[in-house]
Amino acid sequence: MNGARRRSKEWVITLPSLAWLGVFFVIPAALVVMTAFRPADLHGGVMSGWTWENIETLRDPAWLPIVWRTLWLSSVTTFACVVLALPMVFQMARSGPRMRQFLLLLVVIPFLSNFLIRIFAWKSLLHPEGMLTKLLVHLHLAPENALLLNNSGAVLLVMIYTQLPFAILPLYAASEKFDFQLLDAARDLGAGPWRSFTKVFAPGVRRGILSAVVMVFVCSLGQYVIPQFVGGASDEMLGNKIQQRVFADRNLPHASALAAVLMAVVLLPMLVVTAWQRFGRREDAA
Amino acid sequence: MDDFLVIDDVRKSFGSLRAVDGVSLSIRQGEAFSLLGPSGCGKTTLLRMLAGFEAPDSGRILIGGNDVTALLPEQRPVNTVFQNYALFPHLSVWENVAFGLRMSRRPREEIRSGVNRMLELTRLSEHSRKRPAQLSGGQRQRVAIARALVNRPQVLLLDEPLAALDLKLRQHMLVELNEIHKQVGTTFIYVTHDQGEAMSLSDRIAVMNAGRVVQVDAPEVLYETPKSSFVATFIGDANFFTGMPVELQHEGYVRVRVEGLGSPLVLGGDFVSSHEPVRIMVRPEKISLTLKRPESGDRVNAFRGVVEDSAYFGTHARYHIRAGEHVVIAQLQRSRFSGGGINPELGAEVWMSFHPDEGRVVRLEDAA
Amino acid sequence: MKRSRFPALLTLGVVAFLFAPLIVLVVNSFNASRFGGEWDGFTWGWYEKLWEAEEVWESLAVTLKIALSASLASMLLGTLAAYALHCFRSWLQGLHSMLVTLPLVMPDILMGMSLLALFVITGVETGLLTIWIAHVTFCMSFVTMVVLGRLQDFDFTLLDAARDLGATRMQAVRKVMLPLLLPGVLAGGLLAFTLSVDDYVITFFVSGPGTTTLPLRVASMMRTSRSLPMINALSTILITATFLIATLSFRLQRRA
Repeated sequence: MNGARRRSKEWVITLPSLAWLGVFFVIPAALVVMTAFRPADLHGGVMSGWTWENIETLRDPAWLPIVWRTLWLSSVTTFACVVLALPMVFQMARSGPRMRQFLLLLVVIPFLSNFLIRIFAWKSLLHPEGMLTKLLVHLHLAPENALLLNNSGAVLLVMIYTQLPFAILPLYAASEKFDFQLLDAARDLGAGPWRSFTKVFAPGVRRGILSAVVMVFVCSLGQYVIPQFVGGASDEMLGNKIQQRVFADRNLPHASALAAVLMAVVLLPMLVVTAWQRFGRREDAA
Repeated sequence: MDDFLVIDDVRKSFGSLRAVDGVSLSIRQGEAFSLLGPSGCGKTTLLRMLAGFEAPDSGRILIGGNDVTALLPEQRPVNTVFQNYALFPHLSVWENVAFGLRMSRRPREEIRSGVNRMLELTRLSEHSRKRPAQLSGGQRQRVAIARALVNRPQVLLLDEPLAALDLKLRQHMLVELNEIHKQVGTTFIYVTHDQGEAMSLSDRIAVMNAGRVVQVDAPEVLYETPKSSFVATFIGDANFFTGMPVELQHEGYVRVRVEGLGSPLVLGGDFVSSHEPVRIMVRPEKISLTLKRPESGDRVNAFRGVVEDSAYFGTHARYHIRAGEHVVIAQLQRSRFSGGGINPELGAEVWMSFHPDEGRVVRLEDAA
Repeated sequence: MKRSRFPALLTLGVVAFLFAPLIVLVVNSFNASRFGGEWDGFTWGWYEKLWEAEEVWESLAVTLKIALSASLASMLLGTLAAYALHCFRSWLQGLHSMLVTLPLVMPDILMGMSLLALFVITGVETGLLTIWIAHVTFCMSFVTMVVLGRLQDFDFTLLDAARDLGATRMQAVRKVMLPLLLPGVLAGGLLAFTLSVDDYVITFFVSGPGTTTLPLRVASMMRTSRSLPMINALSTILITATFLIATLSFRLQRRA
């Protein structure tokens, strides 16, 4: 095949997905950033012309606690998910092939189960009339009128629950490639089980840890459904505000300004990671 | 000093498989010792028990008089050079070598001098900052050795240390391993399936088969006087002929009647009795070929055969010679074009002969 | 060598943590008690109520219609994209690869929000079509990743071997490549299907009147306590379906 034909073939094959993503992913994202600088009309529409007004309102210090809460909840969720997932994938990778497949299936099923159903399951467990509350009260671990729902603890718990598979799957993929003889080597050189795990296994799957962290952290940043259903009024995240601006206030430009901020927060760690990976790969290959 | 590393009736089963079936060995301090055998003979399991990765079902392992059977790998004064080296890919050469010293929390200064000295010994100083992925096979091997030796283990275990290298590098590392062993004086235990490797690396070799040690001896003793046909075939090539002892002679010789080859005179063994068939073993390179019957009286065993096949290997040539129902392999240690000796063609009739000292009776039952 | 029991115990704990809420849900779908705090006896009642809830089944029909068409379209686009990414190395594929990866890590709310902005500004009425577009957009990247994984395992010398044995280029692709890649493509399609059925956030942003998908219906049911036990019954059915699809997908991926 000569070069020109090969190039035109490449374009023909690439164009459908490239065009689709261009029209329905890149342009909409650009529109959001643009809309952030448009004035809003009172009927939920967007007017022409440019304004700084939407950005100006973000300088209100009332936003700080919400941004802070969003970052904090996402960070704790990320940390908890990785800490729980690491020993689990370690165990999975050391199991026999049949057991490994079975465990993977067990992780995938909740992951594929409906997101709302999983939230609903926790909502009914944590409900004042629900099983968990009754159990804890029965065991005298909680006071009679304990309220497990509508607080930041519930939000955190359900966030960890829904994000855990996002941490397990990339870590599992990385640990499958890990050479477990390295752990024998570490033990042989005098490292106990704990230090073999932290000094050899964890660095060995560091790329998996990185993708797990990005995955969970980014997904958590945009979360709003969980605070909406199991959180209280003071547990709202950035996502809740965006959703309210769009549907309650019908102020698309203002929502876009918030979304643009979120987009920047999301893209920043990803750019850092991409740069780090590029650099890291070069270092390994040199 | 004779019993530095003692393996005392060690057994290990995996399910119904008896991987190691009652092995006892004594290894001297500073010795270079090989566990040699085909794959599945239990040598790797034995090595893993020495390192502490597997616990024996029964038996004891003692190092310098201390029972280490119950110790974890990280607690044993033993280090391993793994077959594929198992170098930590996220650490540099220097950090790999420093790993063990860091684990035992040695002072910083001691770690530095220890690592640097070891890198010098293995000629890796200029590569100290590289990652394992940037090294050649031979360099990785040296890192693995340095990483183990820097901890001053009382015993160094080497699992198929040369298997991952190509032929040229293997010969080079063979010399280098002997050099390192001479310098550090640590007890080296090699596990290998390659008899050439075992012969050139070790003071003594334990030949293993089906979970048991079949024979322990110095390389030249194993080669010259194998006790069983298994050892004889595993170490070098051998011709075997089965026959009945017909005449036990003084000075340890025995005459054996072999169908189609007459009654050759060979070295006997104390297990030979006149009622049971025995097997005699002759190495191919000990057989000479002549066109006429050799004239050295009846102390030489000679029989006639027809050349069926020949192959030229550069340094030597091999012939398959049919004599009745036997096919005898003979190896001539000379070039095709040099003078002296014969260069028989296919189908030519030749005389094969060997001296009684070059043939010996081996046990029949151990045939592999 | 004795291995630490800690990872095994933790794995057991994590699996219990993942499944306990789902199991309680399933058990409560047969529980006569409304809030499921205690066992009030076995009942099929909630399933009967669910059976009579017309609007739930209408939503299911909408969801299936979208999921089927969206997964078909994303299978097609995703497979082409994976093929392009695997076979060519150029600046175009660098860009392409970035565009395909980004939707995987884009928070749902941003994707929904930006598609809504597109539809509002271009004046497109939100409805079935806009939901379908949104679903194809986020499913496509997942299909691409699954098929790409399969392509990386595919031995391209097999195509040469087929040509060497007298097959034309088309025959080689049809008789050798497609059968070997098909399980991967189907697995990607199944993943797209489940993601589409599952999606709430993005759908919420781009749905219009009369296009209430099942997750949207569940969300509105969650707000009225009268229908809460019905969600238990519905969830049980959905979890069972997920279980079957996941098992099927595993079978497909293992066959190679």
